[in-house]
Amino acid sequence: MQTQKMPDFNFPPGSRDFIARNVKLVVLGIFALILLFSAFFQIDPEEEGVIVRFGKYVRTVDPGLNVKIPLIERVYKVPVERQQKLEFGFRTVKAGVQSTYSRDNFKDESLMLTGDLNLADVEWVVQYRVDNPYNYLFKVRHPEKTLRDISESVVRQVVGDRTVNEVLTVGRTEVASTVQVIIQELCQEYSLGLRIDQVVLQDVNPPDPVKAAFNEVNEAQQEKETLINRARSEYNKVIPRAEGEAEETIQKAEGYATERVNRAMGEAKRFEDLYAEYVKAPEVTRRRIYLETMEEVIPLLGNKIITDEKGNNVLPLLQMQMQRQNP
Amino acid sequence: MKNFKYILIIILAILALITLSQTIYVVPETQQSVVTQFGRPVGEAVSTPGLRAKVPFIQRVHFFEKRFLEWDGDPNQIPTRDKKFIFVDTYARWQITDPLQFFKRFTNERGAQSRLDDILDGETRDFIANHNIEEAVRSTNRKPDTSATTVDFIEDSLMNIVVGRENIQQMILQSANKRAQDLGIEILDVRFKRINYVEEVRNQVYERMRSERFRIADKFRSEGQGNASRINGEKERELKSIQSEAFRTAQEIMGEADARAAAIYADAYDKTPAARDLYAFMKSMETFRNTFDSTTTVVLSTDSELYRYLKGMR
Repeated sequence: MQTQKMPDFNFPPGSRDFIARNVKLVVLGIFALILLFSAFFQIDPEEEGVIVRFGKYVRTVDPGLNVKIPLIERVYKVPVERQQKLEFGFRTVKAGVQSTYSRDNFKDESLMLTGDLNLADVEWVVQYRVDNPYNYLFKVRHPEKTLRDISESVVRQVVGDRTVNEVLTVGRTEVASTVQVIIQELCQEYSLGLRIDQVVLQDVNPPDPVKAAFNEVNEAQQEKETLINRARSEYNKVIPRAEGEAEETIQKAEGYATERVNRAMGEAKRFEDLYAEYVKAPEVTRRRIYLETMEEVIPLLGNKIITDEKGNNVLPLLQMQMQRQNP
Repeated sequence: MKNFKYILIIILAILALITLSQTIYVVPETQQSVVTQFGRPVGEAVSTPGLRAKVPFIQRVHFFEKRFLEWDGDPNQIPTRDKKFIFVDTYARWQITDPLQFFKRFTNERGAQSRLDDILDGETRDFIANHNIEEAVRSTNRKPDTSATTVDFIEDSLMNIVVGRENIQQMILQSANKRAQDLGIEILDVRFKRINYVEEVRNQVYERMRSERFRIADKFRSEGQGNASRINGEKERELKSIQSEAFRTAQEIMGEADARAAAIYADAYDKTPAARDLYAFMKSMETFRNTFDSTTTVVLSTDSELYRYLKGMR
């Protein structure tokens, strides 16, 4: 079938005869080509190449085009520049601008005992990088699994030495940095060939069944603040005003005082002036003032009854009349 | 005849290849090997990587891991010495240090893993059961950081430990290594991966945490009310003090002024008997002016100073 279609490939005339005549040459050529291609290989910028000859490590090569001995040497490419991460207590389902997470089946990972024998729900991320490709490849089987075990153990060790309050509030960053140091030490001890870039504590929560109680505490704290603020605002509303009013009272008293003294001084002066004239002619002055006063006063009066010394008997009459007017 | 020769060459070549592959073997970086002859180990184990040779057909080569291997325990339900039921999940790192011995004991890794299960689970159980729970949870006797707002009034202390997590792990490791001595392996590290209460205990702990939080919440509320009352009292006190002080000051000022005015008046009116006379006279005149109005009826005698001239000049 294939041979019948061969002419379609449009070989130059006589080439088929050439191939047939030089089978050995063609086979050797193909073989050489394969060797050539397997000798050259490319290492990406984020990688390093580890080369083994007959299973034995010989050298590490940098990114770029590299050569190895075909068939005898083998290359392992290790992404040393790529930051990788392990998630605990949750998994990123879909990364992106709005990443989605799944955390339903990882409660066992995140639930841990604190030093005061309470429970806390801690989610965290370990970011790491391969920094020794030789150790990474040849020293430990399943380095990622090992790092996972180490991380779980270390976080529990550190959280186990702190109170639940510390873990939930002030201790967060301290826990993360302590964890990072210890994980790094263990990586060294186990020759994992990994470097820990960062340990980030994500959500640190009280366990679900006690969350409501923790919220209750927050609410109570808010309530406390509110009560105090309200009292303080009432205080601020009343006291400055009372201070102002006190000031007013005192000012008014001072006004009264000034007025009182001034009036006294004025009246005294007036009296003294009058007196100065009075002493010169007391009788006349007195009479004059009396008459002047009467002149002023009498027109204002209602009933005026003028009697002489014999008219005393009109008085009872008058009384009767007045009684009738004002019952 | 020519064909026969070709076939012979091909057969010989294949035989040579098989022999070669039976003679030469590669020990990779990650492995070590033991050579056996009719099932019995021959010579030393090889742990340096590279190309090796053996007697073909009679000798067989067995490979063993040279890397650190993982061992992951099943979560074990164990009562602690203080009778708390907890799950302990451990992991360990181990290595085949003597492939020859290992080969004699296990032949393969699976057997070793199951032997490790026995040893490590047993040791873990023993040591956990001999210690209180906090010894397995805590590693040091550090003092808690109590700078958080909520901790200043709840008993937020950590129990002191004598042994500690680190030491228990160390003891398990040593004890396990003693038992694994003739197995050709070495356990490098045993650690508690997870420790947790069993379900029923967990619910009790939740209950305890809840009641503790409610206590804190109550304390907050009562503190709030207390502080509010204190501020309110302060307000009342200050209000009264401000008002009364103002009243006092005002009274003092006015009293002083009254006194001064009285002195001024006295000074003016009390100079001489004549002045006293004049004052009394002027005051009565003023009183007339102020007290008489249209409802007043006055009966005036013609004897009076005012009207005496009505009866004719005298």
